[in-house]
Amino acid sequence: MKDRLAAAVKQSRADYTEIRVERTWSSAVAFRGRRLETATVSEDQGGFVRVLNKGCGWGIASFTSLDELPAMVTRANELSRAVRVDDPIRLAETPPQSADAILELDGDVRGVPLAEKKKLLDRYNGAMLAVSSAIVDTQASYRDEVSEVWYVNSDGTSLYQLRPEVVVSGTAIGRRNGNIEKGLESIGLRKGWNSVQNFEQQFRVVAQRAVDLLDAPRVRGGAYPVILDNELAGVFIHEAFGHLSEADFVYENPQAREMMTLGRRFGKPVLNVGDNGAAQGLRGTLPYDDEGTPTQDTPLIKEGILVGRLHSRETAAKLGERPTGNARAISFRHAPIVRMTNTYIAPGTKGVGFNDLIGDIKLGVYACGAFGGQTMLESFSFTAGWGYMIRDGKVAELVKDVVLAGNLFQTLDRIDHIAGDFTWNQMGGGCGKGGQFPLPVTEGAPHVRIEEALIGGDV
Amino acid sequence: MIDRVLETARGKVDGADALWRREEQTAVSFESGRLKAAGISEEAGVNLRVLAGGRVGVAGTTAAKPEPVELVARARSSAELGEVVELAFPQAPGSQLPPIPTFFDRTANASLAELIRMGRLLVERLSRPDCQVNVAVQREVADTAVGNTAGARGEYRATGIAVTADITRIAGDDVLMVYDQYIGADMPSDADLEALVQSVETRLTAALNIVTPPDGALPVVFTPAGLAAVVLPLEQALSGKTVLQGSSPLAGKVGELLFDERLSIVDDPLTPGRPASRPVDDECVPSRSTGLVERGVVGRFVYDLETAARAKTQSTGNGRRGVFGKPHIGYTNILFRGNDGAHGGHTAGLGGGLLGDIDDGLIIDDLIGVGQGNVISGAFSHPVGLAYRVQRGEITGRVKDAAVAGNAYDLLKRIGGFGSDGRWLGARWSPSLLLEGVSVARR
Repeated sequence: MKDRLAAAVKQSRADYTEIRVERTWSSAVAFRGRRLETATVSEDQGGFVRVLNKGCGWGIASFTSLDELPAMVTRANELSRAVRVDDPIRLAETPPQSADAILELDGDVRGVPLAEKKKLLDRYNGAMLAVSSAIVDTQASYRDEVSEVWYVNSDGTSLYQLRPEVVVSGTAIGRRNGNIEKGLESIGLRKGWNSVQNFEQQFRVVAQRAVDLLDAPRVRGGAYPVILDNELAGVFIHEAFGHLSEADFVYENPQAREMMTLGRRFGKPVLNVGDNGAAQGLRGTLPYDDEGTPTQDTPLIKEGILVGRLHSRETAAKLGERPTGNARAISFRHAPIVRMTNTYIAPGTKGVGFNDLIGDIKLGVYACGAFGGQTMLESFSFTAGWGYMIRDGKVAELVKDVVLAGNLFQTLDRIDHIAGDFTWNQMGGGCGKGGQFPLPVTEGAPHVRIEEALIGGDV
Repeated sequence: MIDRVLETARGKVDGADALWRREEQTAVSFESGRLKAAGISEEAGVNLRVLAGGRVGVAGTTAAKPEPVELVARARSSAELGEVVELAFPQAPGSQLPPIPTFFDRTANASLAELIRMGRLLVERLSRPDCQVNVAVQREVADTAVGNTAGARGEYRATGIAVTADITRIAGDDVLMVYDQYIGADMPSDADLEALVQSVETRLTAALNIVTPPDGALPVVFTPAGLAAVVLPLEQALSGKTVLQGSSPLAGKVGELLFDERLSIVDDPLTPGRPASRPVDDECVPSRSTGLVERGVVGRFVYDLETAARAKTQSTGNGRRGVFGKPHIGYTNILFRGNDGAHGGHTAGLGGGLLGDIDDGLIIDDLIGVGQGNVISGAFSHPVGLAYRVQRGEITGRVKDAAVAGNAYDLLKRIGGFGSDGRWLGARWSPSLLLEGVSVARR
């Protein structure tokens, strides 16, 4: 296949040409309540061509019929030539790469019968349903894939990557009279069959939580000291800051560039943030991004100061910085854009734990788990799965509908304590941007304390 | 293509249905006011569902030359694990499918240069100092064929065009983002593009002044764009699936008056000119409109074939399927209407004429994180993305760092007013709604 792509690149009349071909084998099982929804095996395949010419814009073609590859290279070139630009698009230099990068499969999912996958998910789904008669509905899903990606460009890069992925997730829905609550567990790994065994207890816990939330009051709206657990702190840094560190937000916007000037203080000296696509075995991990650039650990905030950002080759060239291996596409249907990989808040002082963060809070909120988050850059939202009030330095009653309303500049600067209990949160789902969802990413963080944050709710 | 697949399936399984779809897209994008890229995408795929031994199985492929024997075998092995469903595939309808125009030559034949011209016009109209304008124009032509072994067939061509424009204005540490779109099956007229420009400009101009948010239980006008958090719980609860599963708060409430008596909600696949309109659904059921809520009374839930079979009712023609996975329930065009004569037509101002009686409140045009909470319960709580303060009937400026919360089912029991600004936003039509007693929290 590499040779076929290399030949097509060679025949291209464009100044720069890249071709990505993907073949993805996947299987999926889903339960809704006690019923099986689906159990299927699928194969998806297709190609993506992107070309650039001097004085012209990008010409792009994506297609499912690989026989059309040479014709698509020609089409992409025509499209590029139809787009005249005044400001030339340049790509930062990267050394040509040539490799076969095979990530560890940890139990090749292609060799496991679909019936076994159904049995596994049945156990997890059954664990949720068995918790209580108040669990009226569940959604459980298992999905795995092994994706083969070939990438060749006219700068001499030629890569083959084998990327596995497996996601098991379950939502338990509790209902009593008019009240409806949910608990969500999701495990997503860039691994295989062996890595998703023995999670029954986690699924039981979320179903029990859905039941417990039926009796919990809604949190009262207002500004509180808030402690985020590891999972929510990870979602927080992804939404609150991660998206702003993506250079496509600033590279053609002078005002944004000024706002995100390297060297600017964003937080107190306790705050260290980075993005590491090269971390071992995580869901956002890739040896190379979708422009063939090797991934790396990129520091973004060091001791409270902005020190870096995430780049594609185009944004790096524009800003005179180096590509960071963050150009990613969710599939051959899309062009690579600047995305996060594994984003983290680095651990604080070793030995500092949750109890050290909570002691001096008279009235606050301990926000746990994540239903999701979304950013509008300066403002963002992150939705906790559940929460507890903190009263007189102690964890008090369970509360529901805990949604934090954040402001980038105020919230980051109000992080005053970071515990040492770092964990990576290997969730399913993924990140959405520019119509590309879900992109596999991981977030990692310890417990984090925010001096004051706004929580929505009745006032 | 589907004839070959269905022919192969016949005799090997009890019954089957299939969908074939081919889509071609052409897109141009302007970044920060400059034309940046042009692209095409071509995709074709087949989705097959079989009934074998009373059990349902599915298989799909995007292979260029799908092998029917392999596809049927894969669907059959999927069925071996499947549930027993008393699925009856619809027979060929006695009459013609409803004649709904889905294909517009002007859209299908629009040249790349024409798409670029449209984008450039918007960029020029929206450009202003210290603002970044992004515009994208995307045109799609899709061919769909559905069929089943009971003899039903449906085929249609459809066009769609989406023109989106967003402005980002950064002043110091203040980030303002304003966005709007035109989506249709036919090309936008000059008036449509002008309306898009006006819409973005109106939102932007009113947002330049920043004011302190109010707090408390307040009257809030949700614009058609801002309504998403309020309508999402209803869309979930009106799905036959959640009703069957026992998780819909509206289950068992058909015929009950649960909402404001002026509110009607319709799913309508027969609205001319909308990209979600179609003569037949993805399971060969002829299209028709469904009254979900009629004058405040819960009407009908929407079903696909499988959920309808389980609920012992008829499919409402809301079957939707992709190349992979099995058919599921999907809305087509969903229309929120007030029955007091307020049926849109454009009013230029924000708030659809509902601001007059508001002494202190908000206009919500965008909320952050919609869909991420415990949606079906009706409870929502979101930071504002784009919101304005209204004092003594006038917009006084944009508010930031505020969060709104409420329960959609409670708020829709009594609607303070339907705006005169009804419009399409994607596949949803609605006017602005004035809702009373929405919780607003601020720092």
